[in-house]
Amino acid sequence: MATYVIRRIIWTIPVILLVILLIFSLMKQIGGNPFRQTERAVPPAIQANLEEKFNLGKPWYAQYAYYVRDVATFNLGPSLVLRNRTVNEIVKAHFPHSLKLAILAIGWGLVIGLPAGIASALRPNSVFDYAAMLFSNIGFALPNFLVATVLIYYVALQWDLVPTNGWPSAFWDFNDKRLILPSFALGLFFMAFVARLVRGTMLETMQQDYVRTAKAKGLRWRRVVLRHVLRNSLIPVVTAVGPLIGLVITGTFVIETIFSIPGIGRYFVDAVAARDYSVVMGITVLAAIVVIVANLIVDILYGFLDPRTREART
Amino acid sequence: MRRNPWLLLVAALLVVLALGVAGCGGDDEAADEPGQTGEAEEPAAEQVITIAWGAEPPSLDPGLATDTTSSNVIGNIMDPLVVLDENLEPQPQLAESWEVSEDGTTVTYTLRQDGQWTNGDPVTAADFEYSWKRTLSPELAADYAYQLYGIQGAQEYNACESNCDRLADQVGVTAVDDHTLEVQLTSPQPWFIAQSAHHSFIAVHQATVEEFGEQWTEPENIVTNGPFMLEAWEHEASIDLVKWDEWRNADEVTLERVNGLIIVDGTTKLQAFEAGEVDAFDGGGLPPAEIPRLKETEEYEQYEYLGTYYYGFNVENVDLEQRRAMSLAIDRQTVIDNVAQADQAPGAGMTPPGIPGYDVINPESPWTPASGDLEQAQSLMDQAQSPKTNINLFHNNAPGHREIAVAVQDMWSEIGINTTIRAQEWAQYLEFLGPPPSNQVDVYRLGWIYDYPDAINGLELWTCDSGNNNTNFCNEEFDGLVEEARQTPDDAARFELYAQAEDVMFGEDGEMPITPIYHYTLINMEDTCIKDTFYIGALNSMDLTDVVVEGECS
Repeated sequence: MATYVIRRIIWTIPVILLVILLIFSLMKQIGGNPFRQTERAVPPAIQANLEEKFNLGKPWYAQYAYYVRDVATFNLGPSLVLRNRTVNEIVKAHFPHSLKLAILAIGWGLVIGLPAGIASALRPNSVFDYAAMLFSNIGFALPNFLVATVLIYYVALQWDLVPTNGWPSAFWDFNDKRLILPSFALGLFFMAFVARLVRGTMLETMQQDYVRTAKAKGLRWRRVVLRHVLRNSLIPVVTAVGPLIGLVITGTFVIETIFSIPGIGRYFVDAVAARDYSVVMGITVLAAIVVIVANLIVDILYGFLDPRTREART
Repeated sequence: MRRNPWLLLVAALLVVLALGVAGCGGDDEAADEPGQTGEAEEPAAEQVITIAWGAEPPSLDPGLATDTTSSNVIGNIMDPLVVLDENLEPQPQLAESWEVSEDGTTVTYTLRQDGQWTNGDPVTAADFEYSWKRTLSPELAADYAYQLYGIQGAQEYNACESNCDRLADQVGVTAVDDHTLEVQLTSPQPWFIAQSAHHSFIAVHQATVEEFGEQWTEPENIVTNGPFMLEAWEHEASIDLVKWDEWRNADEVTLERVNGLIIVDGTTKLQAFEAGEVDAFDGGGLPPAEIPRLKETEEYEQYEYLGTYYYGFNVENVDLEQRRAMSLAIDRQTVIDNVAQADQAPGAGMTPPGIPGYDVINPESPWTPASGDLEQAQSLMDQAQSPKTNINLFHNNAPGHREIAVAVQDMWSEIGINTTIRAQEWAQYLEFLGPPPSNQVDVYRLGWIYDYPDAINGLELWTCDSGNNNTNFCNEEFDGLVEEARQTPDDAARFELYAQAEDVMFGEDGEMPITPIYHYTLINMEDTCIKDTFYIGALNSMDLTDVVVEGECS
């Protein structure tokens, strides 16, 4: 297991180099000037000063080398647009907010979606099943900005139960009303997703011979469900939820904007629009690392859920 | 009381969603009072307001700031040499007086004796000399260094590659003594005093900048000298200001505290306003579709705003007759009444109303009547040498521009022009515009917001080698008039030159490189408890020093 993990970690290095190269060439392709954010033209002398300061006057391979060096030393340099801040600082200050938002959203998915899916599968074609699946269809179909807007309109403006926007500044502060709407709006998709997935895989698992055998042996139904059906049905759920963590960075953008949450998703989109190369690079690499780590964790979890994969690896 | 809000709301959320999905019809309570918040009502005696900042400030360093929010924060925590009053006349602030030499090229500011920094140091002329030279230094690489290019030797120092120290010494800004600041200009610039109200001319505290480097603007490091202090700055979330009781004029500031939430999205901040979470915005940023409704409310406020929203022509693609015809075909008043909706003034020329000398400068162009003239437009279109009936109209995809483009597209179709509207993301858009503009661009939209209240700031965009002239228009007579105006300190004579320059662009024989659509207004939402005393100047500068909270803020 340990060698496997180490091997996986070493493999991330070429992946990240490739990500840097890809983003670097894409950003160069789309053109644009990070030093011109307003309609005001930048005089040539000032443009030259800025390019000199931020190493943009150098040939492309030198610039690429700078980025690789920056990533390798975990010092991602200054932002080109937010002039008093460094990329490290930006990531450190804002990534935790997005991570928290995504964890809470996935939390909604697991807390509501999982039981709903299980209950639906245990009583297929019941009223509850239909209701849950209708709800999950809606959750799939509604874009999260619409959900967010409707929630703000009713819960915050009409009923006045929570503030319309904002986010607690401390990461560990979970007792704050402002967490509820954004995480729910983002989490609705996960709820729907998890509920459907669990229902589907459980129904399939319940048709398996080993379930019938277990039942035939006279095991109590509750025990069959918990030990055999559920455990086997969770494998696809874990597979699906892991990579969704990657959405931490890119997928939270809309929700962060609507609720004015100081997360990294907003920075990412703004930085691309502003051609803030160093910020784009920093956040992309971070996103790559998050996805890689999430996949790694999923693979390790597999081992616990499914002994066959554990044996195959050793 | 706030025991577990999570559990409590789960059910509520599900219900809401069901409601939302079932169609929100029949629940149109536009006149619904958003008040009655559970929070304790604030007594009027408490001079505290909450405002929504429109963006995370890219920098609170006066030398590096370029945007409105940064400028608004800086303007309230720092002490500028002068401020502009409601007539855009400079009034003494940190400078108690100033003198301009006979030939107009030397300006001498006399600073007040009682200016001081929050750490107790006095504010001296040397602070300004240091700050301006710092902004010009190539190492700082300030985007707005060119604001100081009117000073002798400034441009040379900013562009230097070698001998920089020597060039720095030659920059025409000198602290003669602690309270006398002498500035040598490259030419007589009668607008220079007014221009020095711009945030680029604000002094920074040398020792602090040198000690903390790029971190000096963080609240724990910053040293300021204005009516308010930067108490907290949580990036992308909030900026709080508190009154500085030691400020030289603190007796006249009533407001004790400004809590500021950074809310970028227009809809979000409007919702926050309507829920009573914020009391005012720092100007603009409202969703255009909401303006008609908001206009009917007591909290709506509208300010003069020096700027011009225009459509530029690529003069190599669209010939003169057709440019005139297209300009005539635009019914500006209709665009304003139905699309822009904030009582903007229909665009007559480049120079907006409110600029000193406007009555003389305004070209009264035959080609830009407020309600258009389709008949004449059609006849001009028929005369066009090489009429181009398929036109590409470019705009950047920010709120509001598309709606105007669609209205204009419709108007142009009346004279047989088939317009293709092409929206671009901002950075890409600027690539298309050049200068020189891409061959695909026939017409483009841009706006110009004035840096200082003198018509030159807008007219000089249209000189041949201007970086903001995306039209391929190049006229020697025009360039000559602009250059002559730069050398003319006398207001009446200079305004006459501006009028002639406007005439070259928009007059009877005008070249029409651009056609103005409207001159901006700035709209804002302000709670009635502060509306009377909240003020935003015509260059979008929010001034909090006069704010008094009266009655109850909702």
